[in-house]
Amino acid sequence: MKLRDIGIIYRKEMKDTLRDRRALISMIVVPILLMPLLTIGIGVLSAEIVGRAMEEIPKVMILGGADSPNITAELRAQSDIHVVPAGADYAQQIEDKRIRAAVEIPPGFDASLAAGTPATITLYDYKNDLKSSIAADRLQKFFRDLGDRTVRERLEAQRLPDSLIHPIEVNEQNAAPPEKATGELIGGIVPYFVILLCLTGAIYPAIDLTAGEKERGTMETILSSPVSRTDLVFGKFLTVLTASLATAFLAVLSMAVSFGIGKTLLMSLTDPGQASGFTLSINPGSVAAVFVMVLPLAVLFSAALLAVALCAKSYKEAQSYLQPMTILVLVPGIVSLLPGVDLNARLALIPVLNTSLVSKEILMGTYHWHYIALIFISSCVYAAAALTIAVRLFEREDVLFRT
Amino acid sequence: MPNSPLISVRDLTKNFRSAHRREGLWGGIVDLFHREYRTVEAVSKISFEIEPGEMVGYIGPNGAGKSTTIKMLTGILVPSSGELVSNGFVPWRERTAYVRTIGVVFGQRTQLWWDIAVIESLKLLRRIYDVSQHDFDERIETFDQILGLRDYLNTPVRKLSLGERMRCDLAAALLHNPPLLFLDEPTIGLDVVAKDHIRHFLRAINQRYRTTVLLTTHDLDDIEELCRRIMIIDHGRLLYDGPLALLKQKLLRTKQVKFALRDKGQLPQLAAIEREGLKLERVDELTWRISFDRTLFATADLIRQILGTVEIRDLLIEDEPIEELIKRIYAGEALHEVNT
Repeated sequence: MKLRDIGIIYRKEMKDTLRDRRALISMIVVPILLMPLLTIGIGVLSAEIVGRAMEEIPKVMILGGADSPNITAELRAQSDIHVVPAGADYAQQIEDKRIRAAVEIPPGFDASLAAGTPATITLYDYKNDLKSSIAADRLQKFFRDLGDRTVRERLEAQRLPDSLIHPIEVNEQNAAPPEKATGELIGGIVPYFVILLCLTGAIYPAIDLTAGEKERGTMETILSSPVSRTDLVFGKFLTVLTASLATAFLAVLSMAVSFGIGKTLLMSLTDPGQASGFTLSINPGSVAAVFVMVLPLAVLFSAALLAVALCAKSYKEAQSYLQPMTILVLVPGIVSLLPGVDLNARLALIPVLNTSLVSKEILMGTYHWHYIALIFISSCVYAAAALTIAVRLFEREDVLFRT
Repeated sequence: MPNSPLISVRDLTKNFRSAHRREGLWGGIVDLFHREYRTVEAVSKISFEIEPGEMVGYIGPNGAGKSTTIKMLTGILVPSSGELVSNGFVPWRERTAYVRTIGVVFGQRTQLWWDIAVIESLKLLRRIYDVSQHDFDERIETFDQILGLRDYLNTPVRKLSLGERMRCDLAAALLHNPPLLFLDEPTIGLDVVAKDHIRHFLRAINQRYRTTVLLTTHDLDDIEELCRRIMIIDHGRLLYDGPLALLKQKLLRTKQVKFALRDKGQLPQLAAIEREGLKLERVDELTWRISFDRTLFATADLIRQILGTVEIRDLLIEDEPIEELIKRIYAGEALHEVNT
């Protein structure tokens, strides 16, 4: 192996890659645009949607309550809901989203409230519909307040203190460091995207340097040069790796910037009280650590992509081979996002999943050194295996000159 | 070692395993699970030697095994059996050292990088082949004199015409001044002027540097203009290896005499020339062609007869086009009379 030759091939391939528009788009444009779109775009959009839903005064229906004028009048007086005339098809109307919720007042409600006997209110809403939930929440709050008020009045009438029904006060304080909270929120998504972009950034150069070269017919000419095949593979591999890491690096950079912008944007959109609970802070140290963990994975991707694409005859064939590979990476990535999937020794050996999980922990500020070591070493072993396969394939005539 | 062959090939054989595809949709599905392979003998026990300074044409129809031979000679493919020593190396065993002593041009592909200027590719090759700056400048100068490279050294390869690209490719292949040059279809797709340029250049470097050249081609003009020796391969077997002149002498049976009549008034007399074994054809109104077997008729007799029968303006004696000859060889006409 001659470093000089590897260097020559590397520089040649980099020059070529930087002139390939497809590679440039996936390497530079996608990560830079995707991240702001993902963070700012989705953040702003959801804040907008929630804000608009909150502004709307939901239509609700009162069912029954003919003998309880107090409660119906009080409901009608609420400014954050709009009571519409009752109809028998209330369920259908909720389903059709003509009204957002309905409340059923049992017969003799006013009377039983005055008498102190328990009464049951039934709420009808559309589960998981944002606007319906808002209407139901407002009705719930109304009845909760009414209940509290009734209790207080009854206590007062009996001359009993308020504390009688509140013997214990729970005061909750967030003890987790800000990066922990952030880790839970974005810790899973960040490594997931970094890993995914490591792959997507490497795909085009990998195809171009192997199947693309076959298609253009330049494979023979490069093979007849005095560069050994091993050096050739390493030169090509380093090019793909560079593209992969550049993509991931740009993604992280663009994400950091967009989080900064996104945070201020969100603050201005939502009321300050709510936004202050939404702390976003990424420790540059943990980002660097995540990067180190992703490094062997990028090596694995680059070598595997190179090996697979080399087996293809043409650009098109290579693309169809690499598509399933993307899914192969997506699945462990998604698994790592599932709640309750925590790092253990067995999961630490599964490529992609292990890196994704450990990165999540690192971003949360937790460093399980034995897992980190295990994951780093196992990823390196996989990467070395993939690279060995790529080198071997370059020695095989039936792969290089498939007809 | 003076006069020892530069290339020595003995019983060189290359087999490929190729998948045999079944027909139809069902066949396609069966193929997914059970592939049948056939061994194809691309090159079969060929032997030859090439002396330093020779220019040898290697011809054969598509799929005859020409490119496979070139790939083995350049160390890209490993032979299935047989011996091959080129420039003192066994190409696939000492490939990186060996290829420093050879130049290779694949006609339909380029070793120059598509998107970058020609000069950048050449500079990169200079580094790969360890050519000193002085030698590099000198050779670029020489190539420029013969090939006229300067005009497009700074143009990206993709913007060059095929002919311009071929000139650059030749320069790239000869940058390290190799004593041995392999050319796979160097004139394919080129126009007449470009072909002429390339042939002129090849003759020049062969004379100036005594560069040994082995070229495969479909274009027999390449052979006629450049090579004294030809090797004919078909179905992986070497059918003929020897001087082009000998092949012509032994196999060219037909000769042609083309003549132009002075005026239309000569036309009725033409019938008097016709006789068994002669083929009289009309080229245009006044031009006619007689083809004949030169073993049956003497050209001089025939000309005398023509001159005695009709008044002519012009006369031309031609051999059968070499394409026709090669076609006959590919079609399986016995070559034993030549080879013996």
